Amino acid sequence: MSAQVVIKGPERTEVVKAWNDQIDVRVKIAGSGPALVYLHPAAGLYWDQFLDKLAETHTVYAPEMPGTTFGDPYAIHKVDTFLDLVLIYEEVLRKLGLKRPVAIGQSFGGMLMCDLAAHFPDIFSKIIPLDPAGLWRDDVPVLTNQLYLDKPENLPGYLFLDPSIPAAQAMFTPPADPEMMVKHIAHTVWSLGCVAKFIWPFPDQGLAKRIHRINVPTLIIWGKQDKLIPVAYAEEFQKRIANSRVEIIDQSGHIPQMEQLDKTLALVKAFIAS
Amino acid sequence: MKVLAFEQLAYRHFASDYASKYDSVTTMPYHALVDRKLMHQDHMHFLDEMMHAARSGFDGVATTEHEQASYDILPNPNLQMSALAYATQSEGLNVGLACVGRSLAKTREPLRIAAEYAVLDQISAGRLVAGFPIGLSYDVNRNNGIPPIETRARFYENLELIKKAWRSEEVFAWNGKYNKYAEVNVWPRPFQDKPPVWAPAIGNPVTLAGIIDNDDNFLYLSWFGPKLTGKRIFDRYWDMAEERGKDRNPYRLSFVQAVFVGETDAEAHREYGPYIEQGYRTGLGAIPMQSLGLPGYVDIKGLEFIIKDPGDFGIVPKMRTIEYKELVDNQCAIVGGPETVAQQLIEIIKNFRIGHLVIMVHIGPMPHELVMKNIDMLSKHILPKLKGIWEDENWENRWWPSGAR
Repeated sequence: MSAQVVIKGPERTEVVKAWNDQIDVRVKIAGSGPALVYLHPAAGLYWDQFLDKLAETHTVYAPEMPGTTFGDPYAIHKVDTFLDLVLIYEEVLRKLGLKRPVAIGQSFGGMLMCDLAAHFPDIFSKIIPLDPAGLWRDDVPVLTNQLYLDKPENLPGYLFLDPSIPAAQAMFTPPADPEMMVKHIAHTVWSLGCVAKFIWPFPDQGLAKRIHRINVPTLIIWGKQDKLIPVAYAEEFQKRIANSRVEIIDQSGHIPQMEQLDKTLALVKAFIAS
Repeated sequence: MKVLAFEQLAYRHFASDYASKYDSVTTMPYHALVDRKLMHQDHMHFLDEMMHAARSGFDGVATTEHEQASYDILPNPNLQMSALAYATQSEGLNVGLACVGRSLAKTREPLRIAAEYAVLDQISAGRLVAGFPIGLSYDVNRNNGIPPIETRARFYENLELIKKAWRSEEVFAWNGKYNKYAEVNVWPRPFQDKPPVWAPAIGNPVTLAGIIDNDDNFLYLSWFGPKLTGKRIFDRYWDMAEERGKDRNPYRLSFVQAVFVGETDAEAHREYGPYIEQGYRTGLGAIPMQSLGLPGYVDIKGLEFIIKDPGDFGIVPKMRTIEYKELVDNQCAIVGGPETVAQQLIEIIKNFRIGHLVIMVHIGPMPHELVMKNIDMLSKHILPKLKGIWEDENWENRWWPSGAR
C-alpha cells in the first residue's frame, strides 16, 4: 500500500437555500452520470477516495449538515429537532432536482438516510447504510457517547481496526499552518457538537418505530470489527427492512469504505448495477 | 464587604491513591467506596460546620450543586439550604444564604427551582441569594443527557422563565423552545421583591457578556489558581463591564477562594497541607478534562480562543497529580498564619475589586475538628480585618439579600 493518499475531492459546490431561506446548505459535488447522494458521519463531510471512485461513474452529491459548514457554524441553532433536520434534507434533495437517486450514508449519515427513506418512501431508489447509527440494544451499547467523552488521541481507535493505515492518517492530519490548524480543530469539534444535537446521549431518535416503512432495496454493509457500533446491529437493521441484505467486511472497523476500500466499492457498485 | 463561608460536601474518607484509580465524577463505584455511617457523618458535619460559620460572624453561607460527583455530594443543595434556613432563622442569625447552584442548563424543571428558591426565601425572611450557574459540562451533558450544543440556550430560556415567574402579577403562558406551560403561577413567590442573582462562571467572554447585560453578579471560582487566572479574568470582566456601560461597583463581583488559617504559617502548612493536596487531586483534579467541555458545550469562537491560549484553565490539566507547594504558590489555596492570610486576601480583594468573598473553609478529606478550627481562626483573626473594605467608596450593594445583615 502506498503511503501517499491522493484525493481529488469535490469539483464544485452548490448552495441550496432551505428552511424558509434561513439556512444555506452547502452541497459538494463531483463526477458525472446518475445521481448518488452521500450523507456524512458525525465529524462532518470528509471527502475520501471512496467518493472519488464513486464520482468516476456517478454524480456524487454530498450535503453538509447545517452547522458543519466551515464559516457558517450557527446554522445549527436554526434546527431544533431531528424532524426539522429530516425535512431540511428532503427540501435540499428536492431542490437539487434529483430523481430517486441511490443514497449512501455513513454512521450518523446512515441513520439520517434511513429516516429520510422511512419518512419519504419514494425519495431514494436504493440505499446503502455503512455501519449506520439509529438503533439501540441495551446488551450491545453503541459507544458514540464514549467517543465524545474520550481523549482526542483515542478517537482513531473507535473508528479503525488499524488506525495506522495511510487513509486514516491522512484524515487525522490537521493543516500545517498554525492559524488554519486552530480553525480546523475547532471546526471539527464544533461539527461533532452539531451532530451530537441528534445523537446525544444515544443515537436513537425513534428509527426503530419507523424503519418498517423503508421499501427500497437496501444493502447493509458493516465492518466486522466495528468497535463504535458493533456488527450485531447489522442483523437488527436487516430484519426490520423488508428488501434488505447484509454484507460483513472482515478486517474493518467502523469505516469499511476507508479500511477496505476495494471490497466495499465492489459490493456497492454491484448492488447499484443490479 | 461581605464574607461568606462555603463548603462542598465531599466524602472525606477516600484512600490516598483514589485519584490514580477513579474519577471524581459519574463513574466511581458507590458501594465499593462508601461506608454508610461515614457518609451520614459527613452530611451532619457539613451542616454543623455551616451553622458554626453562621454563628461565628460570617455574613453568609454558600453551597454549590453537583450530581454524580464524589467531591461535592449535593445533588440538590436546596435540601441542605432549607435546613440551614430554618436553623439560622430559629436562632436569629440573619446570614445570607447563597445557593450558588442550581444549574439552569441541566434542569428540566425550571419552575421547581423558582418555587424552591421562593420557599427558601420565605423560611429565611428574605435572605436568599439566587445562584444560577450554567453548570459544568460533565453534569449538564454527561450526567443529565442534555445535548451540549443546547446548553446555553436552555440556560437563558430557563433564567428568563424563572425571573418572569417571580415577578409576574398575572398567570401567564410560556411557550418556549424547551418549556411549555399553559398556566405559570408559582406559589410561593420570594419574600424579597427581587432576590439578588449571582452567576457562577469561569470567565468565558460569551458568558460574561450575558451576566453583565443582565446586571447580575459574577461569581468567579478560583480553583484554577487566581495567580494564573485571576488577573486575566477580572481585567476582562471590568473591561467588558465598562464597554457595556456598567459602573465599577465592587459588589458586582463575588469570588470563591479556599482559605486555611493556623496560628503560624508553619503550623497551617503542616496541619492543613496534606488535606488540601489530597482534596485537589481527588476532587477537581479527578474530573477528566474532556468532560469539562464536551463538543458543542463551548461556542466555536470560544474553542478557537482556548486552543490558541489555554490559560483560562490555569493548572487544571495537571491537578490530578498536583503538589501542595504548587497549589499554594498559585493561591489555589491561601494557607498560613493570620497575618499572611489577611495580607494576601486584602491584596486580592482590592486589586480585583471584589465585593463578596466566598471562603471555602473545607476541602476533600479535611476532618471535622480541623474545619471547625479553621472557621474559628477565620472569624477571630481574618473577618475583622476585611469588614470595612469598600465602605469609603459608598457603593450600594444591590446584590445582597434584603433580609440579611
